Amino acid sequence: MHIPDGYLSPSTCVSFGIVMIPVWVAAARKVRNWLKSRYVPLMAIGAAFSFTIMMYNVPIPGGTTAHAVGGGLLAVVLGPWATMICVTIALAIQALLFGDGGIWTFTANCFNMALVLPFIAYGGYRLISGKRDLNAKRRWVGAAVGAYLGINAAALCAGVELGLQPILFHTANGVPLYCPYPLSVAVPAMLFAHLVLAGPLEAVVTALVVRYLQSYNVDLLNIQALSAASAPATPVSYRKFWWALGVLIVLSPLGLLASGTAWGEWGAEELQKMLGFIPSGMQRLADTWSHAPFGDYSLPGFESFWSAAIIYILCAIIGVGTISLLTYLFWRFQLAESKGQN
Amino acid sequence: MAGMRSVPSWLQEKIPPPAPQAAARRSSRRGFLEKTLHAITEALKNEIFSESLASRPGLLQGLDPRAKLVTILFLIGIAGVLHHIFSLVLLNLWLFWLAKSSRIPIGTFAKRVWVVVPLFTGIVVFPTLFNVVRPGTPLLVLFHLSLPVKLGYWTIPHEVAITKEGVTAAVLLILRVGASVSLAVLLTLTTRWNTLLKALSVLRIPPVFLTVLEMTYRYIFLLLHTSSDMFMARRSRLVGRANPREERRFVTSAMGNLWGKTAALSEEVHGAMLSRGYAGLPKSLLRFEMKRSDWVWMVLVFIIAILFVGGDRVLG
Repeated sequence: MHIPDGYLSPSTCVSFGIVMIPVWVAAARKVRNWLKSRYVPLMAIGAAFSFTIMMYNVPIPGGTTAHAVGGGLLAVVLGPWATMICVTIALAIQALLFGDGGIWTFTANCFNMALVLPFIAYGGYRLISGKRDLNAKRRWVGAAVGAYLGINAAALCAGVELGLQPILFHTANGVPLYCPYPLSVAVPAMLFAHLVLAGPLEAVVTALVVRYLQSYNVDLLNIQALSAASAPATPVSYRKFWWALGVLIVLSPLGLLASGTAWGEWGAEELQKMLGFIPSGMQRLADTWSHAPFGDYSLPGFESFWSAAIIYILCAIIGVGTISLLTYLFWRFQLAESKGQN
Repeated sequence: MAGMRSVPSWLQEKIPPPAPQAAARRSSRRGFLEKTLHAITEALKNEIFSESLASRPGLLQGLDPRAKLVTILFLIGIAGVLHHIFSLVLLNLWLFWLAKSSRIPIGTFAKRVWVVVPLFTGIVVFPTLFNVVRPGTPLLVLFHLSLPVKLGYWTIPHEVAITKEGVTAAVLLILRVGASVSLAVLLTLTTRWNTLLKALSVLRIPPVFLTVLEMTYRYIFLLLHTSSDMFMARRSRLVGRANPREERRFVTSAMGNLWGKTAALSEEVHGAMLSRGYAGLPKSLLRFEMKRSDWVWMVLVFIIAILFVGGDRVLG
């Protein structure tokens, strides 16, 4: 589900950044108020945990293995806000250190996996488990259902994000610039894989881990209450969590239900604003796009093919030459400077 | 591979093959234990390899990490705005040249970018080549059907062909993803992780997040080690093949167990931090200094970016 760089337009990534920044700030504030100074180590080690369990291979029927994401599991044990921070950090490390998922698309990946996934998962879990005893069957059933819903909601969002690209960003003659699949292909493809394979795996893994914790160390299932009780700080009122759930209800369906036309309308209108972010201005580019990249290659203009080819080769020589020369000069300059310092 | 020399030999060893009778039955699947162990070893090996490259003298290594981070982020954005195949090819060639000037073994670089990207992105974009998925101008007609076939939502036209638009879109995407991945690889291979983290502060990321990131990085290796021990212990006690049900139970129990350890560890670390006088934010000994060459580099990248975007516009 990690969207790499290049599949989404820069303006899409920037607009997700604009959505995510206030959410991150809210999450940081909430978790810090709740955990006080315990916040730093718990979030750090929680993120490391999230990263590590993504590496575990789980045997699935049919003889192969697959990875679980574990976002739903974390939401059950840590609550959605803390999970958001842990998953964001795990994603940052994956993007920066292991090249898994893009650097610009980090914002969109966080929206799907750090915001939508844990909140939907936690919502499902709370809805089913309610205030039952920690050992109750409803706890693990709720965790499984929540994890299933969460991962599918995230997949749906990813599908919508990818599917909007060819609608919003293409050349004048319809060549898509980023992800080439429209909503009608991207959404079913993402959803099918997650409804049938990844979702059930996530649900089973979450249920089994919750059952393990129920039978061996039930306190760990309620680390939120545990930390709140042991911290000398003012007790956390559950009202805040209900507010969080309220925000969940308002926020998550925005990305969920508003696929298709609503998102398209929003995008077209928003596109005007987004264009300002791109130095060269995508709109002007779209307007000035007079011919297809391969336009000259069309059959009758065989001569124009050769003239175009020669221009291309000349451009290549001049372009590569200039840039390589500049880079080389810089390198010499840097070496000279570092020698001068020693 | 010259770059592998500094990776300890024990890390380069492949996991020993299973016993002969097991190998005979193994068919195409490798056990989940071996797979997990292999993934963990790969992560550790990769990290040591990057550290060794980051300490070599080279163009990108010599830059202030903040200048490097900002320019590379900027260039990934530029890769996102280029719309012409030709300018993306040029950008990729330049990135090769940057890798070479930064003493990154070209084989490693090419393998990381140009084997992985065409493989994965190529599979993703493959269907878009055909007019079955997206209608377009036919470039190469594959075969003719007597009539258009309707399969529910889909309509297969009577002339199945690879389209010009499909090929262009696929090549564009592969080149763009390739350039973005190259830039990310250049950044991570030439910068030590803790330096990179400190450099993130230039993006106005709150210091608390950076502290958490830094601690996460350390504990990832501890937890990977713990996991590796758990899986190795299991593997060494395993005779024959356990049924998948039991294996699933083992993996999920390992996760639950690891969560217990994680929670306990975070309590201990918190206590240790408090007892050492932690009052909110740690102090860092790392200081950055922008040299003249760093400013020149930023201006240079800006000029190159203008050249690329301008050239892209002229071509398009």
